[in-house]
Amino acid sequence: MEFVIISALNGVTYGLLLFMVSAGLTLIFGMMGVLNFAHASFYMLGAYIAYAVSSYFGFWTGLIVAPVIVGIVGMLVERYLLPRVHAHGHAHELLLTFGLAMIIEELIKLFFGDFPVNYQMPDNLRFAAFTVFGTDYPFYRLFIGATAITMFALLWFLLARTRIGIVVRAAERLPAMAEALGHNIPVVFMGVFGVGAALAGLAGAVAGAFYPTNPNMGLELGVIVFVVVVVGGLGSLKGSLLASLLIGLFSSYSVGLDWSLAGLFGLVGLGDWAQSIGGLMTLELSSVSATIPFALMLIVLLVRPAGLMGERN
Amino acid sequence: MTNMRNILLIAAVLVALVAVPPFLGLGWQNALVNILIASLFALAFNLLSGQAGLLSFGHAAYFGMGAFATLHLMLAIEDGLSFPTPLLPLAGAAMGLLIGVVAGFFATMRSGVYFALVTLAIAELFHSLTPHLQGFFGGESGISSMRMPWQGFVFGTVLEVYYLTLFWVVLSVMALWAYTRTPFGRLTLALRDNEQRVRFLGYNAHTSKVIIFAVSAMFSGVAGGLQAISNETANYALFSSHISAQVVLQTFVGGATIFFGPVVGAVSFTLFAYLVSDLTRSWLFYQGLIFVLVMLFAPTGIGGVVQHHLRNVRRDDWLLLAGPYALAATGGVLIAGAVIYLTETVAVLFGEEYAVQIRNAEGSLPAYEMFGAWWEPFGIATWLVPVVLLAAGGAILVKSRGNILKCWEKMGREVGEGAHEPAAPGVAK
Amino acid sequence: MTRKTTPRTSALQLTDVTKSFGEISVMKGVNLDVEAGERHAVIGPNGAGKSTLFNLISGLFAVSGGDICLNGRSITGLPPHRINRSGLARSFQITNIFHRLSVFENLRIGVLARHGVRFGLFQPVSRMRAINEETVDILERVGLEPRADHLAGDLTYSEQRALEIGMTLTTGADVILLDEPTAGMSREETAKAVELIRSVTEGKTLLMVEHDMSVVFSLCDRVSVLVYGSILATDTPERISANRQVQEAYLGEEAAT
Repeated sequence: MEFVIISALNGVTYGLLLFMVSAGLTLIFGMMGVLNFAHASFYMLGAYIAYAVSSYFGFWTGLIVAPVIVGIVGMLVERYLLPRVHAHGHAHELLLTFGLAMIIEELIKLFFGDFPVNYQMPDNLRFAAFTVFGTDYPFYRLFIGATAITMFALLWFLLARTRIGIVVRAAERLPAMAEALGHNIPVVFMGVFGVGAALAGLAGAVAGAFYPTNPNMGLELGVIVFVVVVVGGLGSLKGSLLASLLIGLFSSYSVGLDWSLAGLFGLVGLGDWAQSIGGLMTLELSSVSATIPFALMLIVLLVRPAGLMGERN
Repeated sequence: MTNMRNILLIAAVLVALVAVPPFLGLGWQNALVNILIASLFALAFNLLSGQAGLLSFGHAAYFGMGAFATLHLMLAIEDGLSFPTPLLPLAGAAMGLLIGVVAGFFATMRSGVYFALVTLAIAELFHSLTPHLQGFFGGESGISSMRMPWQGFVFGTVLEVYYLTLFWVVLSVMALWAYTRTPFGRLTLALRDNEQRVRFLGYNAHTSKVIIFAVSAMFSGVAGGLQAISNETANYALFSSHISAQVVLQTFVGGATIFFGPVVGAVSFTLFAYLVSDLTRSWLFYQGLIFVLVMLFAPTGIGGVVQHHLRNVRRDDWLLLAGPYALAATGGVLIAGAVIYLTETVAVLFGEEYAVQIRNAEGSLPAYEMFGAWWEPFGIATWLVPVVLLAAGGAILVKSRGNILKCWEKMGREVGEGAHEPAAPGVAK
Repeated sequence: MTRKTTPRTSALQLTDVTKSFGEISVMKGVNLDVEAGERHAVIGPNGAGKSTLFNLISGLFAVSGGDICLNGRSITGLPPHRINRSGLARSFQITNIFHRLSVFENLRIGVLARHGVRFGLFQPVSRMRAINEETVDILERVGLEPRADHLAGDLTYSEQRALEIGMTLTTGADVILLDEPTAGMSREETAKAVELIRSVTEGKTLLMVEHDMSVVFSLCDRVSVLVYGSILATDTPERISANRQVQEAYLGEEAAT
C-alpha cells in the first residue's frame, strides 16, 4: 500500500514535469510544424542558468531569471535561425535544432565542466510535506508538481480567456487567414516559441534542484519527451498530458518492482525453464525502468501508430 | 569525358589507399582504419537518410549490433569454430540486416519527424537495456575477443587489419554504388520525393521502406563489425547517442545529396578528430558549430557546394571568382580564429586547472597560458585580439560577399541554394 | 434516369458507397456504373465530393459503407498499391510527381512496377531494355520526349499535367481516373490535353472529374452529376445538359454567371 501511494505521487509529479517540457514541444510543432530537437536543451539550459544565478542572487531569483533568458534564446532561434533553413524543408529544421542541441550541450560542458554541478534547493524548502506509513514525503516533489499545475492554469487562462489566446489559436488553425485579418503572425510564432522554451527552462530550473544537474540531463529527458510526443500524438496537448502521466507512473512503479519474465512464466509453472534461459528472462523490471518508456512506445506504434490522441499522420 | 576522369580519380585514390599505408606510422594506420569505417558507416546511413529521405537519429543501434555479433563470432572462433577470419564482417551484416528489418518495420510505420523520433528511441532502448544484459552484451564492461590467425594471415598488425578493412569497405561501397543503379535504387529516390505517388503506382511503400532501412542497417552492421575486428572489444557505449549524432553530422556536412558526399564529411571529421582532439577538449563544440553553419549557409553540404561549382562554372569564370573567393576565405579564417580564440579562452578560464590556480592565488585571477603565450584575464590585449579579428573578418566577408554576388550576376547565373561560401557568421543579412 | 445495367461489361461499379468524416457525412450512398471502354465524366458543384469520390475509389480513404468493384472483383478496403495492381490508375488534381527526378525516371518508376520488378536489386536498370523502350514509348505518347532528361520540377505547368497523365498510363491499368486534368490550362493547352487524353485512353475505361463542359462534351460518352454526396443523374452529355433537375442543381449556377 505504501509503495502504491508513494509511487503514484512520484509518478504524477514526474509526469507533470515531463508535460511541462513536452507541452512546449508539442505546441510549437502544432503551430509551426517544427520539431525542436533542442527543446530538451532549453530544459538543461534553464537548470544551469538557475544554478549560476542562484549561487549569487539566491534560489528564487534564479527561478525567475532562468526561464526569461531561455525564453529569449528561444525567440532568437525562431527569429534568426529557423527562417534561414525553412525553405529547405522540415528535415533541415530538425537538423538545425539538432546541431543547436549539440552546441548547447558542449557550451555547458565548456563553462561548467563535464560533471554534475551542485545545484540544490534552498534549505527552507527542504522539509517533509507529510508522512505516510512512517516515511517523510519531500515537499519539493509537490512543489515541482504545483509549479507545473500553476503554469498550465495560467497558460490555459491565457489561451482560452484572453484576446491574445484567440489570436494564437487562430494562428494555429489557419495562419494565412489570421495574417490576412491583420494579426502579426510572425510575432505570434516568435512569442509561442519563446513561451514554449521558457516553460522548458522553468522546468529545468525547478527540477534541476531536485534531480541531478549535469550535461547529459538534456539528452536523457529529451529522449523521454520525444517518446511522450510519439505516444501522445504530436501536436495534441491532451495527448501529451496523458502520455506524460502514463510514462511518469510507469517509470515510478517499475523502479520498485522486481518482476521479471521468468517470474511471469513461473505463474504457469515454467519458472525453472525461464530461469535457465537467463538474459532477458531474468531481467528485473526495476533494473530496466529506463527502458519501459521505449517499450511502451513500440507497443503504441503497433496498436495505434498515430499515437493515443493523434490524428492519422 | 567526365566519366573517364572520375574513373581515373577513383583508381588513383584506390592505388594510394593500397600503396601508401605501409610507409605510415602506427597512429596514421589506425586513423586510416577509423576513417574507412566512418566512411562506410556514413554511406550506409546516407542510403536511408539522404537517398530515401528518412532521417535516422539512431543508427548507432545497427552499428553496435554489428560489432557485438562480429565479436561473438570471434569468440566462437577462439573456442575452435573453423570460420575464416576475413569473413567476420558477414556476422555484422547478418545482424544489421536482422535488427534493421525489425526496427525498420516499426520506425517506417511513421514518417517525417515521427520517424526520426522513433529511430532515436530505438537506439536509446538498446543503450538503456544492454548494460543489464550479461549474456550477449557482457553487461556494463562489454565483451572482448582476439583476432585468430587464418591460413597465412596472422592479423596481428594494424596494417593487416587495415587491408582487411579496406577490402570490405571497397566491396561495400561498390555494392552501395551499384544499388543506386538498380530499379530499387531509383525507387528509393522516388520515395524521398513523393511517397504517396509511389503507392498509387502500385508499390507497397511500407515494405519498400523496410527493405531500404534493412539494407542501410546491414551495411552499418558491416562497419560495426569492422570496428569490432579492429578494437577486439565492444560495450554498450557503442549504442550511445554520440555515435548516432556523429554519423548525422558527418553525412550532412559532407553533403547528403551526392553519393560520395558523406565520405567527404566522414574523412574530414575523423581526420580532424585524430589531429586536434588531443589539443583541445572543445573539439565537439567546433563540430557542432561547423554543422550548424553548414546547415545555415550551405544546406547541401561541402559536396553540394563543390558539385554546384563544377556544374556551373566554366574555367574562364574561375579567374573572375578567384579574387573574391580568396578574400572571403581570408575573412572566414579571421572569424574562425576569433571563435577559436574565444572558445579556448573560455575552456581555460572555466577549466578545473584554472579553478585550482584561482584558489592558490586566493581569489585573484592569475595569468594563463594559451597558444604558447601568457594572457592576463583583464588585459586589454587579451580582449583586443578577438575583437579585432572579428571586426576585420566580418568587414572582409561582407565586402567579398557583395563582390561574389556581383561576379555571379555578371556570369548570368542564378544565385541559388547552397551556392554561398560555407564560410562563417556575419554574412547573414 | 436511364441506367444501363449490364454487369458483365461494367469496369467500375460503386454500390451504396458512403463516407463520413466524424459527424459529417460526405458520401450518402453513391451508385455509379462505369462501363468497360467508355469515357465517363463526373461533374458537380464545388464541394460535391468529386475528389473525395476519387480518393475512395483509389483507396486513399477507406469507405464507411458500400462496395466498390473493379472488373467484377471487389476492391473495397484494399490499400492503394493493391488497387493499382488490380488495374486502376489515377492522376491527381494537384500535380503529384517526383520533382527531383528526371521526366524519364518519373515514368520509368511506373513501368518498373508494371513489370513486377518492384524490388529489383540485382540488375542495373539501364540494362533493362524492354522497360526503357516502353518508357520511351509512353514519353512519346504524352509528347515529352524532348524533355526526357529534365527534372520534373523544372517543367512548365501543362507539361507537368501531361507527365501526370503519362504516369497513370505506365502501370498498364485499363481503368484510368483523371482528376481535373485540364484545370488551370489555357484554351489552347486544354484542346491539346483533350487530344492527348483521347489518344492515350483509346481502348481503356476513363473516369474523369471535369469542370469544363466543353471538354466533357467533346470527350465523354456519359456524364454523372454528383451533388452533395449522391449521384443526381447519369446520362449522355446532351441529355444531362437538357435535364431540368441538373440545370437547377448545377448548370443553372453556371448559366447565371
